[in-house]
Amino acid sequence: MSEKATIRLLPLGAQFTVPQDSALRESLGSFGIEFPCGGEGWCGSCKVRVLEGVLPVTPEDRSTLTEEEIGAGWRLACRAHATGPLTFQAAQWQTPILADFQPMHPSAQLGLGIAIDVGTTTIVAQLLDLRSGEVIGLRSALNPQSAYGADIMSRVAFALHDSRLTTIIRQFIGTMVADLATGRVSELRDVVLVGNTVMHHLFAGLNVEPLSHVPFHPSDLSEQIFAPSDLEWPLLPSTRVRFLRCLGSFVGSDILAGILATGIAETKHLTALIDLGTNGEIVLGNRRRILCASTAAGPAFEGACIRMGMRAATGAISQVFVRNRALECHVIGDTEPRGICGSGLVDAVSAGLELGAILSNGRLQNGDNREYLLRPPVAITQADIRELQLAKAALAAGLRILVNLTGATVGEVEHVYLAGAFGNYVRIASACRIGLLEIPGAKIIPAGNTALRGAKMALLAPGIDSQVSVTHVSLESYPSFQDTFVDCLTFPYT
Amino acid sequence: MADLNQLYDAILNGDHKTAVTVTRQALTEGTAPIELITNYMSPAMDEVGRRFECEEYFVPELLLSGRAMKAALALLQPLLAASGAEPAGRIVIGTVKGDLHDIGKNLVASMLEGGGFEVHDLGADVAPEKFVGAVREHKPDLVCLSALLTVTMPGMRDVVEALKMAGLRDQVRVMVGGAPVTAEFANEIGADGYAENAGVAVTVARRLTRKNHAMDEAKG
Ligand code: B12
Repeated sequence: MSEKATIRLLPLGAQFTVPQDSALRESLGSFGIEFPCGGEGWCGSCKVRVLEGVLPVTPEDRSTLTEEEIGAGWRLACRAHATGPLTFQAAQWQTPILADFQPMHPSAQLGLGIAIDVGTTTIVAQLLDLRSGEVIGLRSALNPQSAYGADIMSRVAFALHDSRLTTIIRQFIGTMVADLATGRVSELRDVVLVGNTVMHHLFAGLNVEPLSHVPFHPSDLSEQIFAPSDLEWPLLPSTRVRFLRCLGSFVGSDILAGILATGIAETKHLTALIDLGTNGEIVLGNRRRILCASTAAGPAFEGACIRMGMRAATGAISQVFVRNRALECHVIGDTEPRGICGSGLVDAVSAGLELGAILSNGRLQNGDNREYLLRPPVAITQADIRELQLAKAALAAGLRILVNLTGATVGEVEHVYLAGAFGNYVRIASACRIGLLEIPGAKIIPAGNTALRGAKMALLAPGIDSQVSVTHVSLESYPSFQDTFVDCLTFPYT
Repeated sequence: MADLNQLYDAILNGDHKTAVTVTRQALTEGTAPIELITNYMSPAMDEVGRRFECEEYFVPELLLSGRAMKAALALLQPLLAASGAEPAGRIVIGTVKGDLHDIGKNLVASMLEGGGFEVHDLGADVAPEKFVGAVREHKPDLVCLSALLTVTMPGMRDVVEALKMAGLRDQVRVMVGGAPVTAEFANEIGADGYAENAGVAVTVARRLTRKNHAMDEAKG
């Protein structure tokens, strides 16, 4: 069967060919389409809308999509096979990527270095002049492993029976590094990578099986050092590649780097660092002691599992305000709205609470409607609000428990740094209003890409990363978690 | 006279103090425990389940109603035991090995209890052998399995297999659930039923246990 089918992918405008009857999943993955459930066909996140051509309806389409959706041409890309030429539009959009351009202190070293934040979703790499600390090159991309599951658990599940993820990530980052260092390979001294424990294990080729069950103890938390030849990277043998150590369970070196970037280990004030992502990592401490935990908030802040949820991209409602007791929405790109992203969702619920359209138990006032219309056609549903309640309760409960363990009170937390894309776009007042952050807004500081900044600090001052000591706390071992979590599920009264 | 509708309302509103007061008064006045259960408590929990299904109630409301129901039930249990009354069915429930998520499982357990079932909760991170042991000990009609992690879902199959190996599979029905679990998956691992939330779980449990009895009768 040597027939080829041409596929056009909107809104990217990308065009490619695949052998006829082949699965679309592999080729779409390389264009940044993600398969959160690992391509099992139950989450519906990878749906595409056929504009030209025909994609046969699969049993998974029938069980996951509504009849109207199927009628309107929506199909699950993960289960689709191209039988002829096709043009379709992906419901997902590309993620905004957070880099870091804060000035760094110059160092005594000569040559070049590369710092890389290996995120579950996105990868950002910066080339630095080690002497001046200046950023002289930047590359970013979606993590190519995303085609095999959006969250870390789906990646682990995939890696249990397939070793491809290690090869994929090494090759991909190798190309990025070689590209950044083009023509100056001989000056490249150090490459520092940071990422969560799953990214660390998959990059290093460590066994992820222990991360697939209780008690989730990683095979090896330590720093992983490589010669370029170990990775088949086209660099000089003198270049040293290191993936910084992880802190415990799923809390990885991106959080260690965040601790470096925010100076928690040097301050006397009780300080928190919160990564408002799917794993919801929380760090709390000061120069005496530092605790960390992951709260498993889930992907609601990224707009996943939300009916009209989408990434923060053109067409997304990203902010909602109350003006004269009515809603006003800001849409990215000033176009007609197509959906809502995490920051918009938090704003919308906060506005709904203010207007009395949403009650503090999360129920829509006009309950029978089961929808809160923001700006047509975009609305949030009762189920969306429930998803947000679960996610924010997990985070709030996690912070309460860590504060308890330090013997302090929430009032004694002096600063809260927010890491991650969502943490930098969410409106602080709204995050406080819904009880996601139970700390006065004045103490909360969006801190940009702290993982990348910390990686650069480790590049410029080798060894600083090994001086920090952090204790990992397993929230599942606290029987009080359930009560605290349930207590945090409602929205605060004002 | 105790106003028994207050018992219904107390459970629906998650007011465990009133639930206990009314139940106590009703018992002193000589109302039969079984009447309290069939006419007030079970219907209240059914309504709680219905509200949860249509998203009017959420986890906190379900939990409070469950607590109120349990507090009232605790007063009745000694009397029920003494009178040898039969429950709607016996259930063994637990979260599978490797998984410590138990909030959803606890809600399902309390809804089932509210639905008149005798529930033996084995907790979280329960190995297949423990399920087998509990089936031998309690002789349930139904085994309920919960999993919240993609990586622990296969543990449900392990329990089904373990029950087969122990020769117990045809004596019990198996119902599975948890956020990543689907009806398709339930089918694939050879479970008898699936429910997507705690409200539906009661309906499915009733259906499965009824069939079970029919089966026994056919056999016997
Ligand atoms: C609370 C929570 C925790 C708590 C658990 C506390 C506890 N005692 O249960 C803590 C913080 C300890 C935790 C830890 C972890 N978690 Co967690 N957690 C959650 C969270 C936020 C909510 C889950 C919940 O309680 N939902 C509310 C209940 C009521 O819903 P439910 O469980 O689905 O139950 C309903 C139905 O499914 C059904 N049902 C449930 N069981 C059954 C059984 C039967 C028989 C039937 C019929 C029906 C049924 O009825 C219930 C009521 O309607 C979710 C994310 C989210 N936003 O949903 C992540 C989540 C489930 N966790 C996740 C992960 C990865 C973890 C960790 C591995 C790592 C981590 N820290 O990040 C650890 C592992 C712990 C362990 N060993 O199991 C992932 C799973 C991803 C995946 N694809 O596998 C999620 C989805 C978050 C994410 N990252 O995306 N977690």
